Amino acid sequence: MADLRRPRPAAKQLGRRRDLSAPAGALVRLLLDRFADLAPTVWTDEDTVEVRIDGERNVEVLARLRDDPELNFFMLADAAAVDYGPTEHFEVVYHLYSDLHPAWLRVRARVDRADPHLPTITGLWEGASFHEREMYDMMGIVFDGSRDLRRIYMSPDYRSFPQRKDFLLPDDAADSPAAGVDPLERPETWDLSRFVEAATSSEAES
Amino acid sequence: MTSEVRIPDPLHPERTEEARLRAAAGLAPAPSTGGEYAGFESVGLPDRPPQTEREREVYTLDEGEMLVNIGPQHPSTHGVMRLVAKVRGEVVVDIDPVLGYLHRGIEKLCENATYTTVMTYVDPMDYLSSMHNEHAPAIAFEKLYGVKAPRRAEYIRALVVELNRVFSHGLMMGFQALDMGGLTPILYAFINRDEVVDLLASISGQRMLFNFFRVGGVNFDANDEFFSRLGTWRAGVLKTIEMNERILTDNEIFRGRTIGMGVLSGSEAMALGVTGPSLRASGVPFDVRKAHPYSIYSELEFEVITHTGGDVYARYLQRVAEIKQSIHLIDQIVDKMPHGPVQAQVPGIIRPKPGRAYAAVESPRGLYSVYAISDGGPNPYRFRMRDPSFVSLQAMPKLMPGRLIADTMAVMASFDPVMGGVDK
Repeated sequence: MADLRRPRPAAKQLGRRRDLSAPAGALVRLLLDRFADLAPTVWTDEDTVEVRIDGERNVEVLARLRDDPELNFFMLADAAAVDYGPTEHFEVVYHLYSDLHPAWLRVRARVDRADPHLPTITGLWEGASFHEREMYDMMGIVFDGSRDLRRIYMSPDYRSFPQRKDFLLPDDAADSPAAGVDPLERPETWDLSRFVEAATSSEAES
Repeated sequence: MTSEVRIPDPLHPERTEEARLRAAAGLAPAPSTGGEYAGFESVGLPDRPPQTEREREVYTLDEGEMLVNIGPQHPSTHGVMRLVAKVRGEVVVDIDPVLGYLHRGIEKLCENATYTTVMTYVDPMDYLSSMHNEHAPAIAFEKLYGVKAPRRAEYIRALVVELNRVFSHGLMMGFQALDMGGLTPILYAFINRDEVVDLLASISGQRMLFNFFRVGGVNFDANDEFFSRLGTWRAGVLKTIEMNERILTDNEIFRGRTIGMGVLSGSEAMALGVTGPSLRASGVPFDVRKAHPYSIYSELEFEVITHTGGDVYARYLQRVAEIKQSIHLIDQIVDKMPHGPVQAQVPGIIRPKPGRAYAAVESPRGLYSVYAISDGGPNPYRFRMRDPSFVSLQAMPKLMPGRLIADTMAVMASFDPVMGGVDK
């Protein structure tokens, strides 16, 4: 099993992908035309078109995607967060559906890891609320302007963000636990020093 | 005055310290809450100030209002879940779903599992549609790895997935009645469910958590015995469904309690992210099998069924119609079933090239999707699952205000949520 633990490629290499000739070519051209002012990076897959934007502009871009009659991405299929590691950034990924185009549209919004703030999109799709609560709960991304940003799975007094990549599972202990982890993000552990102290002092007495 | 013994709280050391200081100074222990919640601890209010605007709205009580906890241990919550209902008399003023009682961190576990073992983790997600849970990751991983399942494997996948849909929707008919006080339909529904589950066990080896899909195929081939059992089941399946239909569809009490109850318009449902049969019952013809055909659904003949009512009764009728549609699809799949292998050549531990893939399937509860990122390692770098019943629950606070608390469960059952999927 030693092979399983071989070093992973740096997160920067993620997303390097050939630009395939997809059936969604018309959508790519349309996107490049409509969002010329943003100069987004557009990639295609066999059934997915991908747009990368700056996190701050998510509401503006999604509103234009939804309300443009030729784009008509009226349904938010998914909203999720990705952590690219302690030295990298977060990404909030929206998947949209339109009945006019034969492809899913993936909007990847980049978020700074040191200051993970993003405008909420609950004004566009009310149902994004639970997704944003989950992203806050699991990754610690704060959605400004949300009416209901509280933890959804973990208890309200929980203080870590379990899906961050520097939150290690107990059986990952071999991978240098909590090395360089911010106190806020540290997995909750019992402080055992008290017990160790008590045990050693009672030994000394006897 | 006796000093209070407190167990040190590792999460909030300051509370313990404050208690010690207060005891030393001879003061009474500090009240556990402050501000707006003082004095309300006994009725289940959180012992802390409200964190958000919405929480303040739900948990601030006007004259004559009170909070009722439905759950977490309640027969009608379809798992372990709490609905905090603010009521005035018997009328619901507001509802706050409290989740997380069943949270197992499946996404995180999957990120630490190999691509093949992910299938075992997603099974207990939405445990009434385990086949669908496995279908989406299988498609996503095949996209990542660049392998295609053989045609026979795709047909067997579609077959088991539709079988799963039949028993899931069948159970919904039963639970819908059960949550409104009718005990008989659930018994018939479980007869149907047991038949299907035995059938699925004969192909996958498991009755509930099937672990049947593999990257690049399925675990076992369907043999002659399976098809002969399928034929026997097919001959009798409509009988149990129709027994339930006869009890419910024209039942005056059932109609009286469901028609006009929990009406969700198409645009509301879309904004809330409600998908699947519940969305189609509001008149929106969105079905992933048609919208983005995956597997072999582009080769099958079927129409997207919709109803226009948008109420509990329409959502019930939608399920009944979709059971019959699924049986129709099963007939087509069996007719067209090709011969050949059921598993592509794939190593046990796969390492897809760095990349990302999105795959969505139409689960009995709606759009179930997986977003997987590979970094070239043996396990997914990020594994995200979108569970439809998690999103659908947001409709509850929209639909219930002004309704009787007894109808809360009828409306919730009409969305057919499964807490294993909601809490992940």
